[in-house]
Order: sequence, then C-alpha cells, then structure tokens
Amino acid sequence: MNRAMYAAATGMAAQQINLDTVANNLANADVAGFKGAAASFTDLAAPGSVGFGTASIGSHTIFEQGKLMKSGGPFDLAIDGSGFFAVRNAKGERAYTRDGEFSRDSGGRLRNAQGWVLDGVRIPAEATTVSVAPDGLTTAQTPRGAVVCGRIRLAEFAAPERLESIGGTLFRTTQQSGSAAFVNAGAERGPHIKFGMLEHSNVSIIESMMEILAAQRAYEANAKGVQAADEMLRIANNLNRG
Amino acid sequence: MKPAYHACMDGIGWAGSAMAAARSRLEIATQNLANTSSDGFRKLRAQGRLTESGVQIEAARSFEQGGLRHTGRSDDLAIIGAGAFVVRKSNGQVTETRNGAFVRDRFGRRCDDAGNRLVGMKLAPGSSVRSGFLESSDVNPISEMIDVLSAQRSFESAEKTLSSIDQTRQKASNELARLK
Repeated sequence: MNRAMYAAATGMAAQQINLDTVANNLANADVAGFKGAAASFTDLAAPGSVGFGTASIGSHTIFEQGKLMKSGGPFDLAIDGSGFFAVRNAKGERAYTRDGEFSRDSGGRLRNAQGWVLDGVRIPAEATTVSVAPDGLTTAQTPRGAVVCGRIRLAEFAAPERLESIGGTLFRTTQQSGSAAFVNAGAERGPHIKFGMLEHSNVSIIESMMEILAAQRAYEANAKGVQAADEMLRIANNLNRG
Repeated sequence: MKPAYHACMDGIGWAGSAMAAARSRLEIATQNLANTSSDGFRKLRAQGRLTESGVQIEAARSFEQGGLRHTGRSDDLAIIGAGAFVVRKSNGQVTETRNGAFVRDRFGRRCDDAGNRLVGMKLAPGSSVRSGFLESSDVNPISEMIDVLSAQRSFESAEKTLSSIDQTRQKASNELARLK
C-alpha cells in the first residue's frame, strides 16, 4: 500500500505544480507582453514494476503571439511576429521582453515600468511627437524638422523557450537558449514593430479556468488514492486482533 | 482435469492472496491517477490470473489513443495511431515515448523539457503525426477512482473472509481443547 500511497502523493505534488503554473498564468492574464507557461510531467516507470507515480520534467514558456491592441500610449510598441525588445538596467544587465509599454525619461531614453531602458533610441528634448516605423526606425518631430533618433532592433533566439524568466515580462539568456541575434524588423516575412499598440498576454482565461478545475479534481482523486492506501494499511494492521 | 490451483493453498492463503491482489490493483490505479497530466501517458490495466499461489495481478499497458489537445505550437507533435517518438537522453540511452511536447535547442533541434533529443519516430502503417497538438494522458480519473474504491472494498472483504476463517479456527482449537 505504501507504493500506492507514494504514487498518489506524487500525483498530488504534480497537480500542485500544475496549479501553480496555471495560477501564475491567470494572475498575469492582463499584463501586456506576458507569456504563459506550461508544466510537463512524465511517469516514473520502473522495469518490472507498476511504477512510482509521476514527476515534473520542467516547464516551458509558450511564445505564441498575443493579440495586438491599440493602446494610445505615446511610446507603446508591440511586436507582430517573433523576436524581443532588448532592454538594459542601470547595472548594465541585459534582458529581453515582449512588453512594449515604454515611457520617455528625462534623458530621452525609453524606459519600461521596471526602469529598464530600450536599446537603440534617444529622443531629443525638444521633440514634440515621436513615431516608430514597422522597421523600427524612430523619428521625432522637432521645431527644426524631422530628426531620426535611432532604430529599434529585435533580438531573436535559436531556442526562445529556453530563455529564463526573471520576473515581470523579462527574460534573460541561458546556455540553452543561445545568445541574441539582432535583426531589423519590417522585412516581408519577418516581424514588424507596431507603434501605438500593445501585445496582450497570450493567456486564455477560459482555458486557464478549465485547467484549474481539472487540476483540482485530479488533486482530489489522488488524495482519495492516498486515503484508500491508508485505510487498507489500517485494516492490514488490525489483522492480528489476538 | 486437475485445476491449476490445488491443495497447497488453504482458505487463509486464498484470502491473503486476494488482499495482495487488491493492493496491486490499488497500486495500478494510483499510478494511473498520478499520471492524469502526463502527456502521452498510456494507462496500465490490471489483469488477474489464477496461479498455484493464489490470484496474481499483472499490469498491462493500454493501447488506447489519448485525446488530442490543440496547443498551436508547431513544435508540439502528436501521433495518431500506433507508434512512438524515439528520444536520446544525455547519457546516450535511447527510449521511446508518446509525449510529443518538444522545444527547440540552440541548434534548432527538437528536445523535450528534460533536454532529451528527438532522434526519430516509429510509426505503424496508417499512423500519422499532427503538429500543433499534444496527446493527453489516456487516464480517465473517474474509472480510476472506481478502481480505487473497488480495490479497497475487495481488500476489506478479503480481510473479513480471512478474519472469519481465523475465528472459526480459533473457536475450533479453543472448544476442542475444552472438550478434553
């Protein structure tokens, strides 16, 4: 019964991980640029025996395109297609994000909500309006006329699913993801930058709710398995009533 | 014809083997329940067999197709029909799996979440592979719950049988001793 009890317990642990992943997805369903994750499990098989339950083999981020929505922010950007915005913090650390909700700081840099600065553009102080073309070319209207203030390039990865999430909507490279290759947007088949739009999270609330319900029921079923194993152990222990 | 089960087993032996069989059935049901969320998992089915040492339970792998779940990710693969993905672990060991949740590594090769690399597929004639789908575990939690309950109840009734045989014997030995 002990093996049954432990197998059922691994099932409970797996559903807990499942719930954690889905709950995190759901909590960020309204965060621009957020990408949902999925956990994977495999059976713990043992040759010549039934097996020892299940184990988590990790999780991966799902980089499916989120919906693009008109947002109205003066510096909002979205990527239609693959790739990431490359940002840098005050310490010079690099991160990559799909969240294009930027605002202009006093130095003319575009910063996101966490204070990370977007690579490649600096807007002159006297600029009145700014626009970004689908190829990332950023121009500002100033009293002197139109001024080019840089080009936003996108970072592409050989294995984006191996990027490590560092909180918010930021990712950093790992050995498995490979390093960033910078590409110009706007090519016919490549990604485009959409100015004045934001990419919504790719989490579907309905799907997540269904996953939560399923995980909860599976958790309960496994808990019943533990209970049954326990009850049978109790009966076995009472066999010798003397 | 002589039955396969003969005099070497008494009632207590039979009841004991029935309890062990119920335990094996519980193990199989909990193993299945634990893998409700393991993509590509094929459930185990308990098969009973009469032997000279009582009832024996063997676990047989089911060959039922799991449901296909749409993910939209082009690296997710699902096999429809018989077949398996062949993956190579980092230690060179080659195994087969029905779980087609792959991601790309930095060389563009398909790997699973544990980093095991997809090296091939074994497909039976008539089977096909769909991209953008995953094959869910074929475990049906309801029928497994029923198996858990049924294993528990057969365990209990085997125990009752065992106890009553034990009580009969106890009575026999006590009262026979009193007669003397």
